[in-house]
Amino acid sequence: MGGQGIERREMLRVMALAAAASGFPGLHRWTFACGHLGSGAAAARPAAYTPQFFTPAEYATLERLTDMIIPSDGTPGAQEAGVAEFIDFMVWSDPGIQYDFRYGLVWLDSRADTLHGRPFRELTPDRQMDLLGHLAYKARFRPGEEDGQAFFRLAREYTVMGFYTTRIGMEQLDAPGLRFYTESPSCPHHGDPEHRHLPAPQV
Amino acid sequence: MADQAYDVIVIGTGAGGGMTIKTLCEAGLKVCAVNAGRRLNPLKDFRNHRMPWDLKYRGFGDPRTRAQSYGYMDNEYTQGVWEHGITYTTAPGSEWMWPRCYAVVGKTNFWGRSSARFGDIDFRAASRDGNDVDWPVTYNEIAPYYSRVERMIGVASTVQHRPSNPDGEYLPPMNFRCLDYILKSGCDKAGVPYLPDRIAQLTAPLNGHPPCHFCGECTTGCDTGSFFSSPYFFLPLAEKTGNFELRTNAVVRQVLVDEEGPARGVAYVDRESGQEREVYGKAVVVAASCVASAGIMLNSKSRHWPTGIANSSGQLGRNLCDHLYGGSARGYLPQLVGQPSFPDNVSDSTIAWMPRWQNLSDPHQEKFIRGYSVYPDGGCRDFPSINGRMEGFGSDFKRAVKRYYPAPVDFTVQAPSLRSDTNYVDLDPEAQDGYGNAAVRIHFQWDPNTLAMWEHSKEVCREVLKAAGGEYLGASDQPEMPG
Repeated sequence: MGGQGIERREMLRVMALAAAASGFPGLHRWTFACGHLGSGAAAARPAAYTPQFFTPAEYATLERLTDMIIPSDGTPGAQEAGVAEFIDFMVWSDPGIQYDFRYGLVWLDSRADTLHGRPFRELTPDRQMDLLGHLAYKARFRPGEEDGQAFFRLAREYTVMGFYTTRIGMEQLDAPGLRFYTESPSCPHHGDPEHRHLPAPQV
Repeated sequence: MADQAYDVIVIGTGAGGGMTIKTLCEAGLKVCAVNAGRRLNPLKDFRNHRMPWDLKYRGFGDPRTRAQSYGYMDNEYTQGVWEHGITYTTAPGSEWMWPRCYAVVGKTNFWGRSSARFGDIDFRAASRDGNDVDWPVTYNEIAPYYSRVERMIGVASTVQHRPSNPDGEYLPPMNFRCLDYILKSGCDKAGVPYLPDRIAQLTAPLNGHPPCHFCGECTTGCDTGSFFSSPYFFLPLAEKTGNFELRTNAVVRQVLVDEEGPARGVAYVDRESGQEREVYGKAVVVAASCVASAGIMLNSKSRHWPTGIANSSGQLGRNLCDHLYGGSARGYLPQLVGQPSFPDNVSDSTIAWMPRWQNLSDPHQEKFIRGYSVYPDGGCRDFPSINGRMEGFGSDFKRAVKRYYPAPVDFTVQAPSLRSDTNYVDLDPEAQDGYGNAAVRIHFQWDPNTLAMWEHSKEVCREVLKAAGGEYLGASDQPEMPG
């Protein structure tokens, strides 16, 4: 790989650009997890997050959903990145999606209640996986669950937004934007312009 | 307020105004620039080195104001620098998405940086295909000026011997990434050129300006001044002469004229105080951008110029042209799925281009006249691209996002519109711009020739992607809105 990586954070220090702290006070876990400029890892983990838009029950379901969509499975997932907090903030900020989120969570609980007599968050993990699986995979679609399907798409979209815009999420991708380059990076695969003979994928 | 007289008043400080100001000041003339917006502080206003988590909405923008954004450049990273206070209107049936940066040095703060030369295939296009009229200049006349500007601002590329775009004097090009070699192999099979782009971006130090640091966030401003922009390249040189004065937050109402008709100054509104002011000079240069310059001149009515200054021909504001942009194809390269990430996004989509290959030897070879170019891009960006192949959730989904992360590619067409009598700007008789002027009203629709290029580009880019071994996932339903 051409170009020497410089830690983006170092570059920022050099340029004396103080990063603007988010004016929003709610993203405690996110701030902790991402190690904001200069704050280091020593910051104590703050007390439990109080959602601004969702009720505590809704928020518990939302947290579970984000954890199912991007799990902690040996590498950090939505929980560690504070994705539910981000979604709470975005929904709180966006009247255009408030109904869809609230309706979707109600739909999920009522579907869980019909099938198993309990709200979604109180189902066993297996039953949660099964219910969500019907919404998430076309081959498993059950007629009448269109609204649930739409809510899954929405929840996944916002989970992706919330996860891959944290340092944790970008590190998962080994995102090149975390570094600077001192020269224009150049393809290292000389003699294989069509890239037909690359090493087997590691991921 | 009484005012001293300057040699020249320049309205606007961007690419045209900035060059004018620098040139005139260095020639010893006293110049006063009148600019509608404020002067930016690159360290504060350019957020190109902020990470998504440094921004309140992670770069997605405030949902309550997102609908007012003028396109992709007007985003959370550039909040507060695009013009939203001065209004314009569109005629029924016309759409016009007009991102305006009225801050000092205008859109050179955030521009796309592509800097190819036009050739006689453009200047003499009418002689070739019989449509409309030639430009009043030839390539040989303008070539020395191209050279002068290239030496001044720095353009990175290679000598390419393309009939569409003559070669110039270039800094070293950006290097090709994996995806460039793969797409080039597809282009080779399809008979389409795939070459280093021509960009005013410094791959080497130039005239005291540091080279690019490859952060890939150029369209949110460059705080090291490593692509051509007027605040770094022109205004400091003008200021050094002692001949330059800058008036910010000054919205021009009209060009003032004397009894005989020639300009003698400019009347403007100070945006901060709301006061009306005048400034006088021996000459006035209107360099406020294509549409805004026409608007100012149309608003400059006087006894001598009843329909606007210098409009005795009636052509003022007529013949509005634009480039059609649109996503001609998108997909991914299976070769790169699962491969390690690679710094693909180091120059904000200006590594490669596919310069015009249509109607070169025969001006009527295609179903349209003239020609278009395509800008390919893709690979690892800050945010992963999620495609329809990534179903479901959980560890498999998480792995799929990572596997596909290096693989997306896309093609953006840049197709010039033809001159048309029905595309023009005039003044809206019923709306004001918010500063006491009649609002500029835009009449614009894509002509059939431009839309034929759009359709053609979708076919060719699909073919190129497939020939490169790529998976085609579709094209945009519509081209981007004009503006």
